[in-house]
Amino acid sequence: MEEPKATASAIINFSEKLEDDSSNFYEKLAEKFLEMKSVFLAFAEESKKNKVLVTRTYRETITDALEACFSFEGLKLSNYVVKTILTEDTSYSDALRTAIELEDKASKFYLDVAELSKSLLATIPSTFRKVAERRNSRKQVLKSLLEKAMAKH
Amino acid sequence: MTILEEPIKEVLSLKNYIGGEWVESGGEIIDVVNPATCKVIARVPVSTKDEINKAVDVAGEAFPDWRRTPPLARARCLFRLKALMEERFEELSRIQTIEHGKTIDESRGETRRGIENVEVAAGIPSLMMGYNLEDIAAGIDEYVIRQPLGVFGIIGPFNFPFMVPLWFAPYAVATGNCIIIKPSSEDPVSQAKIAEMMEEAGFPPGVWNVVNGGRTVVSGMLDHPDIEGICFVGSTPVAKDVIYRKCGETGKRVIAQAGAKNFLLVMPDANLASTIAACMTSFYGNTGQRCLSGANLIVVGEGLNEHEYNAFYEKVVNAFVDAACNIRVGYGLDESVQMGPLRDKSKKERVTSFVEKGIEEGAKLRLDGRNVKLIGDWPHTCFLNPTVFEDVTTDMTIGKEEIFGPVASIMRARSLDEAIETIHSNPFGNAASIFTSSGKLAREFQYRVQCGNIGINIGIVAPMAFFPFSGMKDSFFGTLHGQGVEAVRFFTESKVVIQRWF
Repeated sequence: MEEPKATASAIINFSEKLEDDSSNFYEKLAEKFLEMKSVFLAFAEESKKNKVLVTRTYRETITDALEACFSFEGLKLSNYVVKTILTEDTSYSDALRTAIELEDKASKFYLDVAELSKSLLATIPSTFRKVAERRNSRKQVLKSLLEKAMAKH
Repeated sequence: MTILEEPIKEVLSLKNYIGGEWVESGGEIIDVVNPATCKVIARVPVSTKDEINKAVDVAGEAFPDWRRTPPLARARCLFRLKALMEERFEELSRIQTIEHGKTIDESRGETRRGIENVEVAAGIPSLMMGYNLEDIAAGIDEYVIRQPLGVFGIIGPFNFPFMVPLWFAPYAVATGNCIIIKPSSEDPVSQAKIAEMMEEAGFPPGVWNVVNGGRTVVSGMLDHPDIEGICFVGSTPVAKDVIYRKCGETGKRVIAQAGAKNFLLVMPDANLASTIAACMTSFYGNTGQRCLSGANLIVVGEGLNEHEYNAFYEKVVNAFVDAACNIRVGYGLDESVQMGPLRDKSKKERVTSFVEKGIEEGAKLRLDGRNVKLIGDWPHTCFLNPTVFEDVTTDMTIGKEEIFGPVASIMRARSLDEAIETIHSNPFGNAASIFTSSGKLAREFQYRVQCGNIGINIGIVAPMAFFPFSGMKDSFFGTLHGQGVEAVRFFTESKVVIQRWF
């Protein structure tokens, strides 16, 4: 089935959900893997801030997006969805792999929407790029945690 | 795709807000209907002459204290109002969608534009300053002070139920006047919500009043000797023959923004992809129900021979029709939707009658929006899809009259001169745009075209809150315009003082 057009509203809704899900995911990781609690809680907190930043930018610039007749042509939101299911049996390294995939797709999502919105007010793509950088930084941290975890085995 | 939650769960019973109290009206009660679902969302009174008179009385009583309130304190009320609007941004936007029909992105844009006017008016301590000059004669100085006038009436249209009264209201109260807003009875909920927030923001009773209703309220405002001025946005016949005329007779100040028939020119050197994208918003945004909507698209053949022009014309028309075909129509709370319904059934019927007239008068129907195709299962009662006509001429009804719906008329002109003549043959003068890569042509267009709002590679020429919302010819009646410093001037008298001390 063809995916419907990604309107500005749909993009922001997706971003909000992505940050909410990410925040919940990292809070659960913090509960499950106590030795890395502070790192995961910091990620959860950062996702909450990301949501505020993106929503505020959208609301303050929505008129620009509208008057430029803006839609995110060709963007398939389903490409950026990651299932972040944690079970009793999920190991630390598997959880990290899921987190890395989540950060990878989130970062790509924000970079793609930044590219597609670059004709709009500079604050719009720059906000998306800023969040993409934050998510990419997390990915690097998670990768290094995974390497350390693997080295122990 | 997600359908967002409706913000109104039970049918609201709207009241008037007079003198700081929510007051039941003794008038007839009418339904406010969500045009997408056809469900009743509110009931609104049609207030009586006594009720509008009462509102004018209490506003007049509140005026002396309010005008003595320091501008900084008045501005703080606006700061608090802005903060409340930001807090309730999403709720306010969704209300616009369910009471008017526009898409959620359009509603959020409208909310933002409204808030921007509150922000600008909050700068009143600077905006309201007068000016002075020492030594105009020996030992004599002269200065101008700006003083509020009293009570103003604001009559809102149905097409922007949240934003349009905010082109005026924040400036009126910031300058120390008191106001009575009459929202459109078709979609009055937004103004009721603003009144709730205004009350919470701490405006004193009587400063900001809302009286719902129709003609009785309007004529009550026009006839009342204690109303100093009227701000109106609506159709040209009412603006010209009722509001402007009556204000002239009674000596009231007036801003009467009226109808439009906006022309967009596509020059051969235009960036076609960007032009077509801008046209889609212009012609079909808000379902064509705005005074800045594109109505007539003129494909201009400046510098082209006959063969080249025909090829260019076909290219533009085909690109326009292809883009219009792809506009997704449905309930505005569905985030994938790009165009909502008309405000009500009678408006749909009016637009449909224009389409029929276009066919009858020989225009070529390229896309028939009467074949309704919706995203989602909604009653077709108020919906139309985009319509495109080509080979439209200025003597056709669809080429000259305001349709106020999602209908585009494509016309031909062999030169910029001919295109400008075509624009000037129309009595309206609200907005006109040119799409071109040529600074010379753009400058010529800007210089010559007799329209209040000019777009250069812009589809919707919507002035920001700190600029006046202009208009000429049959699109505007008055002198000063809404928004920004012109609104501040409209709501104040310039008093000149010449002083000498012996």
